[in-house]
Amino acid sequence: MSVKIIDHFLDSRLWGLIVKETRQTMRNKVLLWLLLFPPTLQLLIIGGTVDPGLHNVKLGIVDYDRSRASRDLIASITSGKVFFATDLVGDDRALGEMIEKSRLGAGLVIPSGFDRDLFRNRKAEVQVLVDGVDVFTANIAKSYLMQLISHYSPSDQAVPSPVKMQLKVIFNPGLRSSWYFVPGILGGVLTLTCTLVSSSVLLREKELGTLEQLLMTPVAAWEILLAKIIPLFFLLMFDVFLAVMIALLVFDVPFRGSIPTFCVASALYVCVGIGLGMMLATVCRTMRQAQLAAFFINIPSIQLSGAVVPYDTMPAVMQQMANFAPLRYYTTVVRSVMLKGAGIELLWPELLLLVIAIVVLWTFNLVRFRRQLS
Amino acid sequence: MRTILAQAGKEWAEFHRDRVSVAMAFVLPLASLLMLGYGVRLESKNITLIVEDQDKSFASRTFAERLYATNTLVRGSWKGTVSAEDAMAAGGAKVAIILPPDFSKNLSLGRTAYVQALVDGSDVNTAHVASSVIRGANTFFSRMVESKLPDRSYRVVPKVRIWFNPSCRENLFIVPGVFAIVLWLYPSLLAAVAASREKDQGTVVQVYASGIKPAQFIIGKGLIYVCVGLCEALVIMIFGWLLFGVKPIIEPSAVLLATPIYIMNAVMFGLCLGLRASSQVVAVQAASTAGFFPALLLSGFVYPISNIPFPLSVFSWVVPARYYMEVTRDTFVRGAGWSAIWFDPLILLGFTLLLFIATWLKMRRMQMT
Repeated sequence: MSVKIIDHFLDSRLWGLIVKETRQTMRNKVLLWLLLFPPTLQLLIIGGTVDPGLHNVKLGIVDYDRSRASRDLIASITSGKVFFATDLVGDDRALGEMIEKSRLGAGLVIPSGFDRDLFRNRKAEVQVLVDGVDVFTANIAKSYLMQLISHYSPSDQAVPSPVKMQLKVIFNPGLRSSWYFVPGILGGVLTLTCTLVSSSVLLREKELGTLEQLLMTPVAAWEILLAKIIPLFFLLMFDVFLAVMIALLVFDVPFRGSIPTFCVASALYVCVGIGLGMMLATVCRTMRQAQLAAFFINIPSIQLSGAVVPYDTMPAVMQQMANFAPLRYYTTVVRSVMLKGAGIELLWPELLLLVIAIVVLWTFNLVRFRRQLS
Repeated sequence: MRTILAQAGKEWAEFHRDRVSVAMAFVLPLASLLMLGYGVRLESKNITLIVEDQDKSFASRTFAERLYATNTLVRGSWKGTVSAEDAMAAGGAKVAIILPPDFSKNLSLGRTAYVQALVDGSDVNTAHVASSVIRGANTFFSRMVESKLPDRSYRVVPKVRIWFNPSCRENLFIVPGVFAIVLWLYPSLLAAVAASREKDQGTVVQVYASGIKPAQFIIGKGLIYVCVGLCEALVIMIFGWLLFGVKPIIEPSAVLLATPIYIMNAVMFGLCLGLRASSQVVAVQAASTAGFFPALLLSGFVYPISNIPFPLSVFSWVVPARYYMEVTRDTFVRGAGWSAIWFDPLILLGFTLLLFIATWLKMRRMQMT
């Protein structure tokens, strides 16, 4: 029985079309190059460069006190890897100038009498200057410095704190930023490739006029679309595989969760991506329009996906919009599976939403495609 | 000169016939400005926290209240049927605090009370902020406990002053950066598509046959997109002022000079890629891989350049967006003036000339063969 169905399928028009499209795709060297090279490069750049931590902030120090206590304080601030002291700066005017020319990221001024105040009054003040142009660094540098300074106590006078906190970082104990960004941007890179490549495949036939020839044959519209999609689907799945390999081998990202859940989610998302590309192809008339319009889809969806900016910190309006971006759900799945070891029992709502996105997109595409043909 | 203008006129006729593309050339930069300007938020707010209070005493409740009073931590969702770590895996919370049953007993006996904190490290930035916030709350609570005891602690009080952007307005940081990214992306994209289209459609052969010199062809073609880019610059800078309140705080001569150079640079980059690419799709992919991603990630737009590790940090030197961003941030935020940024327009000019030469050589070689 099942053999008969397979035989029947292998004889069908659809199978013939699929074979034709697969051959055509594999012959298209440019397309293969596009599918493999840019996503790999993009992932490598992103994983290798994006690091929101704070390292090597140049701290200028003006020490008017030059006492044991002030040297002690400086040592306790610069002992970590975050701040490194440049040579002592003469006075606070010179310090101000150096911050203005962005040669220093932050400054610390220890007034004279620091040592005396600290031991007589048990309280002393220091001044901290932070360059606020780079808000991101400024905020972290400020809170780091404040924490270091207010936790400081003269080395021989340490007082045990009544409450001790044992802080444990889970899921990413080494706080490696690539573990966050590589799985995060994986979906974004995939969207970019999906939309550009799949829209170009269809528009090419449109621009060359070969689509009309296909329509003269007795195949149905959905068969044409499906035959085009199937080889693309497998190539894009290979892209996902490649990206995961880069994550695992180059960046040591762990893969803690269920592989089947990940594969199902990726397959669903590739279908969403192809759907988006096909939508561009049915809406736009020329390749140039489609290529430009792709940025209408790509920039917002990468922005809203939580790949770069976490969903929780987005403004409320953006969160509302993000709920309509399929990429957001895929990104959640990838991160949860890889880093947190989540499986289908936690992630089924995301998968369901991806299925809904596919149904909506593909219905739209098929209706538009049919209308354009008639 | 006349040949250049004729070439420019032809290019313009071709471009403005495609109304949709013209519309997109202006709508896209604006949309990107809105998207990035409103969307990129760096301050970690609303970090979700769950507290597993095994002590259920006055002291432990006070401790938990202290955490929620920080304005940064909000209540996460947790049904209490699974372990705190599982709740975090499900995305219910980013931080979990576990207060052991002997918490208040230890405190009242004057012994050290231990608290366990679990922080979700997957988002490094949030993890950093969360750790320092809960450590701060812990210090605060400890001081509350200590204040009942004789004061034995020493305190250094930092007085923090933030310069140039005292209220830490994120717009002031993000929007001048967005100018640099948008004015790189779209002019280079349009130029790349325009150049590769001639190849795609085979019309480039007619260009070779027409006797137009490579330099004239390049300048003529580029001129239109430089003009389009300048209009885009005007549009986004006006909207940056109206919507985000980002306006020049010193005389804007540096931006006025650097913007045309920067846009020329972007257009040259686009033409260079477009002539090398074999099709429009390749040109666009190349422009976004080699142009957009570096401009977004290697320019110091969000994350400081000093964080980029060594071999890749070399690449950041050849990302023009980095130098233009220094100019816009100076004019719109810092206000140090020419003395701090005089070399940036020169570097941009250098890149433009190099790209022009590369495009010209490529064009000449294509014409020869």
